[in-house]
Amino acid sequence: MPGTILENLSGRKLSVLVTLLLACQIVCFLVGLIAPSPARTQGMLSTICVDENPENDNINRWFTKKCPKVIVLSNKKSITGLQANNLVFAVQMPLYDLDFSRWQQNLVGILQIDIVYQTEQKIVEPIIELTLDARLAYSDKTPDGGTTPWQYYAHAEEKRYMECTFDNTAVIGEEREGYPYNCTMVPLFELGCLYHDYYLMNLRLPYSESKNTNLGKVEDVYLHTIHMNGGFTKIWVGLKTFFFPLIVGIMVWFWKRVHQLNRTPALLEYVLVSLGGTLAFLNLPIEYLSLTFEMPYMLLLSDIRQGIFYAMLLSFWLIFAGEHMLIQDHGERNTIKMYWKHLSTIVIGCLCLLVFDLCERGIQLVNPFYSIWVTPIGTNLALSFIILAGISASLYFFFLCYMIWRVFKNISVRRSILPSMSQARRLHYEGIIYRFNFLMLATVICAAVTVISFILSQVAEGQNKWDENMEVELTSAIHTGVYGMWNVYICAMLMLYAPSHKQWPNEPICGEGEEVEFSRLPADANASEISSLTTFAAKANIE
Amino acid sequence: MMLIRRQLEEKFRRKSSWLAASAMQVFTCFVLGVFSINSAGAARRQQWNGTWIRMGMLFDETMQNDQASPSCKALPGLSPGQGRLCQLYGDHMNAVAWGAKQSLNECKHQFHHRRWNCSLLDDVNVFGPVITIASRETAFAHALAAAGVAHSVSRACRDGQLSSCGCSRMRRPKDLKKEWVWGGCGDNLEYGYKFTQNFVDIRERERKFKRGTREQGRLLMNLHNNEAGRRAVIKKSKVTCKCHGVSGSCSLITCWQQLATFREIGDYLRDKYDGATEVRVNRRGRLQLRDSRLTLPTAYDLVYLEDSPDYCVKDDRIGSLGTQGRSCNRTSPDIDGCNLLCCGRGYNTLKSTVRERCQCKFKWCCQVECKTCIKSMDVHTCK
Repeated sequence: MPGTILENLSGRKLSVLVTLLLACQIVCFLVGLIAPSPARTQGMLSTICVDENPENDNINRWFTKKCPKVIVLSNKKSITGLQANNLVFAVQMPLYDLDFSRWQQNLVGILQIDIVYQTEQKIVEPIIELTLDARLAYSDKTPDGGTTPWQYYAHAEEKRYMECTFDNTAVIGEEREGYPYNCTMVPLFELGCLYHDYYLMNLRLPYSESKNTNLGKVEDVYLHTIHMNGGFTKIWVGLKTFFFPLIVGIMVWFWKRVHQLNRTPALLEYVLVSLGGTLAFLNLPIEYLSLTFEMPYMLLLSDIRQGIFYAMLLSFWLIFAGEHMLIQDHGERNTIKMYWKHLSTIVIGCLCLLVFDLCERGIQLVNPFYSIWVTPIGTNLALSFIILAGISASLYFFFLCYMIWRVFKNISVRRSILPSMSQARRLHYEGIIYRFNFLMLATVICAAVTVISFILSQVAEGQNKWDENMEVELTSAIHTGVYGMWNVYICAMLMLYAPSHKQWPNEPICGEGEEVEFSRLPADANASEISSLTTFAAKANIE
Repeated sequence: MMLIRRQLEEKFRRKSSWLAASAMQVFTCFVLGVFSINSAGAARRQQWNGTWIRMGMLFDETMQNDQASPSCKALPGLSPGQGRLCQLYGDHMNAVAWGAKQSLNECKHQFHHRRWNCSLLDDVNVFGPVITIASRETAFAHALAAAGVAHSVSRACRDGQLSSCGCSRMRRPKDLKKEWVWGGCGDNLEYGYKFTQNFVDIRERERKFKRGTREQGRLLMNLHNNEAGRRAVIKKSKVTCKCHGVSGSCSLITCWQQLATFREIGDYLRDKYDGATEVRVNRRGRLQLRDSRLTLPTAYDLVYLEDSPDYCVKDDRIGSLGTQGRSCNRTSPDIDGCNLLCCGRGYNTLKSTVRERCQCKFKWCCQVECKTCIKSMDVHTCK
């Protein structure tokens, strides 16, 4: 049985392939340049309506921008005689004459509550416990140009914590009246799908012995919404549609090649094909379905898909390193059981994140206002899951680094005996080591680029660019570039590590000064090992 | 899931980079002198009276009752260019008027204890003849008015009062809907800034003066201070970010500008007033430092051409009301102290007992339970 394609490919063919993949990578990046930024915000000022009979429990009573009685909280005259239950903060989304498109995928709502100082009240506590009675309704366009009446979507009474500070040094005494507190934002809701055209939020801040007792003088309530940009979704789904059949095709080709051999597939081949499988699952463009069906679980699903992919990628690296380290006993086939210690870190880490995700986004399917972070127990739970995931991640990286270090040590030890080999054999092994290092390097570069680009995109996002001439959007280019990079990387892995079918004569045919096509040494042929590097290492071991 | 971080939104203040990028604009008004090269034909007679800031004084009477846009002819003090903008952006005029009104209120608040207490006169110029002097106070008033409009238009955007705002980028494309689905809407603060740039500055750009004249210097000064006012709105805004990537991680992060309250902007501009720079117009029609040892003012600083008049005594010619009868603080060494405010004329003291609300307890939303305390205090007024 010959080795993998990587080892038997000529330098020229390899460079052509690498160039092709690089071109594909650059195209992915360029495609991102034409897309707008991944998400946009719209800040909305709430209309403060007066609810004349707050006792009315009818859930389908909605207050819109055009409610009968609107007041301004900063106007002292207009609020006399009102109770907290009378006030309804109404926000209609989106603003202007626009409506949401399903391409905009999901909606996140964040509250900004402006509190001002008033002489009648001492400085409020830094941490304010808010009780929010929030309701959401939806409406759709009708074919004749009108809209359907508001329909109930969700309702919950939730607690949130807000931190408010007041700069005591800036002003003194009575001058403080009307000065603003500096308060943090309050995350309010997350909708997994934007199925309807319009949404309406009605917010109440009830007051009782136990509710909102610390609340100061609220002047304005803003709702900031974040939605995906339709353009970005189109480009993103387009990329997925392109990569999905490609990956599936390469997987089929890979598996066929493996089966053409008269041996059962090796562990690395199983791992490679399942890595391809998870990538195909990640690439599956189910976003198209969300254009016709209401799928509030889209956020959760995409989290899970991403999680499975990362888990598989991390496992692949471990097993890849392990297969080149020879932890197996001579001649025995490697199985997944050999790696249980290493893989358990990944499994634990991913399970933790899955549970955390189910707790947050899973419950949000039922109650979009839910957040695990608001209750102390929830915060502790969420933090412990994340810390546990973090511990397993660092354990994993420890294992990985250790294994890679051993592989390199192994290689360098064997390299020292290279000069004593015949020239053909030496060239052969040197080439393999070179290409193994090359792929290791590619992996490290991919990982580094991912981390650096996400840090960069966060820095770039923090500064708002208002330059009119700047039509290109770097953040989305970074996202599509990184996404394309992992696709290209796995394509390359599947292609280069597929078994080669080249049949070589018994005598090495190394031409002098020409391109060297590395040949397998017939003596090393061993059906249980897939790459001659492992063979080489094993052989040296026995010696 | 690799980059899990605390998913609660992060807050950080950063200077908007675009401001740095447009550093070229910093001396817009210094360079603007070039525009007036061909204007040898001297200044045309002003066709309009007073200032648009008067809209703020009429705000309660003519507007707000019905949210409908006011007729442009009914609005006072608009220049021809502003009139055209009013026709184009009728729905913005409520916001402009509200901006003018809040800037007047803020001016009164900030200058409450100063010799010139931002007194409004029933006059086409709102502030009386004082505003025709190119003084520090005028610089402040112009900056504050521009800031008021920029703030108010940005706010009106969030209120949904205007028909499109940041979605339109000043022009209204026919495929606005497509634009919204593709890329969402732009920043409201940016929109407010740009609208104000057009609306407030157009007054100065319509007029042409000979280079190096006093009028031309005044024009440059106004433009500079208007810019400083608009930038104050942006400078005081906060950038807030929210992570919403995979599992709430920061692999996706979106930031937006949070509008500051107008009081914060007023405070900022008052500081700028205290540190305003005196400039003069040179023969080439540019502003230049009167005292070359000082540092060059940036686009965030206020500039003025003439010294302030004496606000101590009543003078109808310059529109000063004088400080007689103003209450002052006996113990303060600052400008609100009796010594400075009364210009050394001394003060009268009146003992009085005041009924005050004290030991209050606030109940959200609208109730304050207080006790009544009786306090005797001295009231000092300038002679």
